[in-house]
Amino acid sequence: MTPPLLSTSELVKDYVIGGETVHAVNNVSLSIARGEFVAIMGASGSGKSTFMNMIGCLDVPTSGTLLLDGIDTKLLSSDELAEIRNRKIGFVFQQFNLLARTSALDNVAVPLIYAGMGHAERRAKAKAKLEALGLGERLENSPAKLSGGQQQRVAIARALVTDPLMLLADEPTGALDTQTSLDIMSIFQGLNDDGITMVVVTHEPDIAEYAARRIIFRDGKVIEDEAVKSRRRAVAQ
Amino acid sequence: MSQLLNSVADWGVNVSIAMTALRTNLMRSILTTLGVMIGVFSVILAVAVGNGAKVSVTQQIATLGSNMAIVVPEPDNENGPPRPRERGRLTERDAKAIERQVPGINAVAPQIRNSVQVSTAGRSVTTLAVGATPAYGIVSNVTASEGRFLSDTDVGSAARVAVIGETVANRIFQDGGAVGQTIRINRVPFSVVGILEAKGSNLGNDNDDQVIVPISTLRQRLLTTPAQGPDDVQLIFVGFDDEEALLVGQKEIKNLLRARYRVAKGSVNPFTVRTTTEIAEATGTVTQIFQGLLVAIASISLLVGGIGIMNIMLVSVTERTREIGLRMALGAKRRDIRNQFLVEAAVLCVIGGAMGLTLALLAAFAVERAANFPAPIGWDTALMSIAFSAVIGLVFGGYPAIRASRLSPIEALRSE
Repeated sequence: MTPPLLSTSELVKDYVIGGETVHAVNNVSLSIARGEFVAIMGASGSGKSTFMNMIGCLDVPTSGTLLLDGIDTKLLSSDELAEIRNRKIGFVFQQFNLLARTSALDNVAVPLIYAGMGHAERRAKAKAKLEALGLGERLENSPAKLSGGQQQRVAIARALVTDPLMLLADEPTGALDTQTSLDIMSIFQGLNDDGITMVVVTHEPDIAEYAARRIIFRDGKVIEDEAVKSRRRAVAQ
Repeated sequence: MSQLLNSVADWGVNVSIAMTALRTNLMRSILTTLGVMIGVFSVILAVAVGNGAKVSVTQQIATLGSNMAIVVPEPDNENGPPRPRERGRLTERDAKAIERQVPGINAVAPQIRNSVQVSTAGRSVTTLAVGATPAYGIVSNVTASEGRFLSDTDVGSAARVAVIGETVANRIFQDGGAVGQTIRINRVPFSVVGILEAKGSNLGNDNDDQVIVPISTLRQRLLTTPAQGPDDVQLIFVGFDDEEALLVGQKEIKNLLRARYRVAKGSVNPFTVRTTTEIAEATGTVTQIFQGLLVAIASISLLVGGIGIMNIMLVSVTERTREIGLRMALGAKRRDIRNQFLVEAAVLCVIGGAMGLTLALLAAFAVERAANFPAPIGWDTALMSIAFSAVIGLVFGGYPAIRASRLSPIEALRSE
């Protein structure tokens, strides 16, 4: 049996604020298998974002173990963590986080620069990902000339361009209208069908219904972790 | 090989990122560049002016004549400045004795100099009168381009004849044809027998702004301050056949004059004997120090430019913290972030350096034209200044770049 893509045991993240220690994530042990579609829910301050930052190797745990693709992340240097983020994880953010005054193509190619790929190859790969997401006509547009949904699709193309094992999306529909949100969730479901592990952090219950498994955080702990009963299929328009 | 090409391409990526960032804040980039530009400009110009001074000194020494010793009636302080209160003496008889007794000499030229007023009807200039003998022509390569130089008869009879420099000629005889005319030097009429061959000017000193008259005439008719003795001179130029004769001769002249003035063992000579080589070395040292000083002052402005770079890079890092966080999330390693900001600083500096160099070239050209002062800028200076400004970029961009690379990805990403 292959090991899970991700497993945590007794994961803790403490913050010291004003002399008081806050357990943002408190003893979380769970695992996510390859090919899962997980929604992480919770109110703001519940620890869901902190948890996501740790499994995305953006933040380091105070204690506990995090195994990613069989690798103990505690033992890695900051450069090795950067490499994991580059090769194994794709990030999608609420505010898209595209580089301004930079074409869609160049935005998507950024992770490939850090992967050490040559110029021509970078452009070819970025172009292919953008075309797959229906943005073949928008390659040279800067973010300012794209709609919110288009910007988020550019961001997804960027997350996918290094062919990661897992996509981490932090409130990916938070800045989008309902129909555009559905389009994005449809893209995620399609990617998940192709085998990519999806982790979506959201506070919207109906967005979570497009996932297959729902984990709810409160006060730094997991209070609910179960399969979504009536999973919905998003249909893009 | 392909690895090398890739790393070159990576730097290319950084340059294009830098250009985008610099264009975004165009005004700010221009102002920062201006600081480096002014710094590089002043350093290059300082080097150029210093080089120009060196060239001028060399030329000046060359016009003086090579393989020459100069004897002046000033106490020899070795390398210190002469003490004017302890004036020594030097006479035409000393010059004759030197000529007779020191071997290897081709000419001995005693001289007196005095500032005079030269006038024709309606025109008048102040210039330097040099009272000389025909030997002056030999030791200092002075010849007449028109007419003739002084003759022994002129000196013997204290004739009122003058050989005038081109500058003086141009000022008082604007239509040319000076030879054969009469001029008044301090109201005494002299006839112009020749025009000196032009020697140009060095270090703001016009070699053609002088008139040469027989030493005897100057002493009798033009001296405004009375001399100590009837045949006192201010200078004796001693021309030698070659460098070897000069070195031996310098000592011989000293010994001869010590004997003539009965200088006791251990006391200071009342005269000084310097060779043109020594003078060249001394002035060389002075110009070297002068250039060093200029460059040091100019470097301060470069330093200020560098601090400007550092300041702006710190602002840039703060403003783009979120971008840094994003790049880290997408897989940028610390060195990638560091290099990105280093390249940005270096690009600013190299652009500033290139602009400063261009400006310095123009200024050097203008100085050469307007002030008739050479300010040569060599390829080495040009390349060095560009390299130097890149180094400034790396040094002053280094701290902000390293600070950027040490940011925690999540904190950077969360910043507003």
